[in-house]
Amino acid sequence: MRLSVENIEVSFPGPAGDLLPALGPISFEVADDQFVCLLGPSGCGKSTLIRVLAGLLSPSAGAAYCDRELIQRPLAEAAIMFQDTNLMPWRTVLDNIALPLEVAGMSRPERYGAVRKLLPQLNLENFELAYPAELSGGMAQRVSLGRVIVQQPQVWLLDEPFAALDALTREALSLELLRLRARSRQTIILVTHDINEAVLLADRVIVMSRRPGALVADIPIDLPRPRSAEMIYKREFLQLAKRIRNCIEDQRA
Amino acid sequence: MQTNGKVAEFSTGRKRQIILRRLSPFLTVLLLLLLWQGVTERQIISRILVPPPADVYAAFTAALADGTLAKHTMTTLGEMMYGLLLGVGIGLVLGYAIAKAPLLEYVLSPIIVAFQSTPIVAYAPLLIIWFGTGPSSKIVTTAVIVFFPALVNAIVGIRSVSPPLRDLMRSLNAGPWLTFRLLELPSALPVILAGLKTSATLAVIGAVVGEFVGSGSGLGVLVIMARSQYNTPLVVVTVLTMTVIALSLYGLVALVEWRFLVWQRRAAS
Amino acid sequence: MLTLRRFATIVALLLTSLVGAQADVTNERILLTFIPNVQFAPFYLGIQHDVFSEAGFDVALEHLQEPEVLDLVAVRQANYGIVSGEQVILARSRGRDVVYVFEWFQQYPVALVHASDLDLSDLGALRGLRVGIPGRFGASYSGLTTLLTSAGLNETDIELNEIGFNAPEVFCLGAVDAAMVYANNEPLQIRNLAAAGECGDLDDVGLIMVASQVDLVSNGLIVNRGLLEESPAQIARMVGALRDALQITIDNPAAAYLASLPYVDTLPADDALVVALTDAAAQQQEFLADNPTRSEVAASRRALAEELSEQFDGAALAQFHVLLNSIDLWDADALGFSDLASWEAMRDTLALMNLLGEELGDLDAAFSNEFLAVSDE
Repeated sequence: MRLSVENIEVSFPGPAGDLLPALGPISFEVADDQFVCLLGPSGCGKSTLIRVLAGLLSPSAGAAYCDRELIQRPLAEAAIMFQDTNLMPWRTVLDNIALPLEVAGMSRPERYGAVRKLLPQLNLENFELAYPAELSGGMAQRVSLGRVIVQQPQVWLLDEPFAALDALTREALSLELLRLRARSRQTIILVTHDINEAVLLADRVIVMSRRPGALVADIPIDLPRPRSAEMIYKREFLQLAKRIRNCIEDQRA
Repeated sequence: MQTNGKVAEFSTGRKRQIILRRLSPFLTVLLLLLLWQGVTERQIISRILVPPPADVYAAFTAALADGTLAKHTMTTLGEMMYGLLLGVGIGLVLGYAIAKAPLLEYVLSPIIVAFQSTPIVAYAPLLIIWFGTGPSSKIVTTAVIVFFPALVNAIVGIRSVSPPLRDLMRSLNAGPWLTFRLLELPSALPVILAGLKTSATLAVIGAVVGEFVGSGSGLGVLVIMARSQYNTPLVVVTVLTMTVIALSLYGLVALVEWRFLVWQRRAAS
Repeated sequence: MLTLRRFATIVALLLTSLVGAQADVTNERILLTFIPNVQFAPFYLGIQHDVFSEAGFDVALEHLQEPEVLDLVAVRQANYGIVSGEQVILARSRGRDVVYVFEWFQQYPVALVHASDLDLSDLGALRGLRVGIPGRFGASYSGLTTLLTSAGLNETDIELNEIGFNAPEVFCLGAVDAAMVYANNEPLQIRNLAAAGECGDLDDVGLIMVASQVDLVSNGLIVNRGLLEESPAQIARMVGALRDALQITIDNPAAAYLASLPYVDTLPADDALVVALTDAAAQQQEFLADNPTRSEVAASRRALAEELSEQFDGAALAQFHVLLNSIDLWDADALGFSDLASWEAMRDTLALMNLLGEELGDLDAAFSNEFLAVSDE
């Protein structure tokens, strides 16, 4: 599905009753099946933009569209993955992943069947009855990812999904994300502040300015797919990473 | 071998410690019983004031045999159950409403705080003449006293539901009922159950206060009747029955907690 | 060292002077029931008019529940208490050795109150009626049992409602047809409610005194058996003082009401009423100087009531009327005496109610009139 962001601005009420601009104005389009990484310093409004695209927040000005449909409320075709794992501590792995299906009104055997099919790809086969508190950070994040995949969304909105993980786990999970996505291609927007992660995953990297975040650079990543961990040592990769870094550093200056 | 021996030693020592900890409440009770027996046997305190355990036991078996204890206990239990249903029910519903609509809190809090901070014994006679001399007035005194913990814990429980999880439910387009059933209720359950524990122990107080003011049967009445017949052992039996009821009800909620909050126990270990 | 010795001397001197003072006056607690109320006027008057102190007592009054009064006297934490006779029998049947030495209420104060248009001249008409009672305990319950027994009925023939001490409200709400009350108090409250139009269509109430059916032993002074054996003379002094205070109260209710004012905070006492009562008390003093008969004194009380009711409204006089009604229950030719028959009647009622414990001792040991004779001299 195609996403378009048209002159979106978001402000929040400040302590003195005035309005503090948090995002924009910003405009861009994401083509069908494109994987876009939003990159920018913390506090630039990346997460705010994701919330607007998810239909959880109305912009103060401008509008977002999904295949020409104005996004006013959460769309059934889109799924969001939150910054921290955001799992329900009272639900098992199985029930956490099955939550969207339960909300959709699917019967218990049906939804457990669907989740169980998914568990091996997520490397969670032996943990279906575990509670979130019993999982490692990486495993919890895979459960969270499973909760997105189970919805079979056409649009994935991923808000710094791996930020809390150590570097190695994070790289492994990123590549897993690509593998999981490969089966049927979807439109993905992933927020990150890690340049390597962005270059490794994306078809296109959008660099945002500091708060209130505006578009600074829109850089296509034409590295071949499938991507692998070794790629990060290739020249093309390093050049792209350097270019993005420069964009960000120009911002600082 | 040496390390194995040490481990074994350590674990038996630990086991002993655990057993001792488990036994300690019973030991305390046993010690109190012995003290009680000693004090009455040696006439340190007149047995008119403190009847010896043997007399209390005799009063217990007598009250059990002629059905007195069962009859009055059933009355009080009935009043408590209806009072709990009414008070906790209203408390939870109102607590949910207040958590959702903070304006309600401003409107209702003066009444609620006034009700809570006024000693119920003082206005219990009014409740008797307003709600009749039958069980209904005792149900009301119980409901009034168990209402507050239920209310407060419902408010706290619902308000402490994690905002990101609320966002998740919204992103899934979950309606109010599903949000309540799948998110708010399970999330608030630990706090609500903690409140229910308090309510359960207060229920006995509510029912007995109501019965004290005027009633035909119930443990509160049995205390007055036994006292007016100078049957102090029966007074002690009745009071202990109230204690047992309060503890059992507390235990019952703890059991529900144990059953439903598996995830909390697993997370703790 | 020197200062220490001097200090010790001073302390010793102080102590002896204290002991010396105590030889004249004994500190005594009298345990009363209920709450401070004009019905305890004889005790307030006894203190205010130095009746107790002239007999050698510095009396302090305390209010407790009846069983607590009795138990504290039984274990001798207090020497004197006021309880009803049935409590003495009940408590003695469970090992409390107290002795009843002065009958204060000559008439059992409990009565059945009902709307005057309900004909209960035959007590058998109680069958099927809803009767309110504080609870299945105490004097009201014994009184009701006695009434039912004399009508050939038992508890299952009526609809008994435990209403706590709320008889006026519950009666006026129409929740019961009749209620067991204290004759000197609640009927007045019901009449006041009716006068204020807050008692349905009630015109007036009828009263059936328990005492009209059976003479039951009533409220009186109890002492501990140990005290009775150690210092009978002290008890005789106390009994004499109480009798004197009671007699003055009966003879001069206006003075007794005034004496109650410091003790009963809620007693109506606007200036006009105090002035009127002060005058009445002085006049009554002159009247008593001529040694009027008991019935003449009773007539003087009624005359005073009427005179006052022309000046003051019902609310201002309500508690004074409670006092006058109480005096009717206290007055007798010889104050303080209780007879064996009334004890037996009470014991039989309690036995019927299945309330007695195991230790059914001799009723003769439960009471004594001998201190009345001694203080007669």
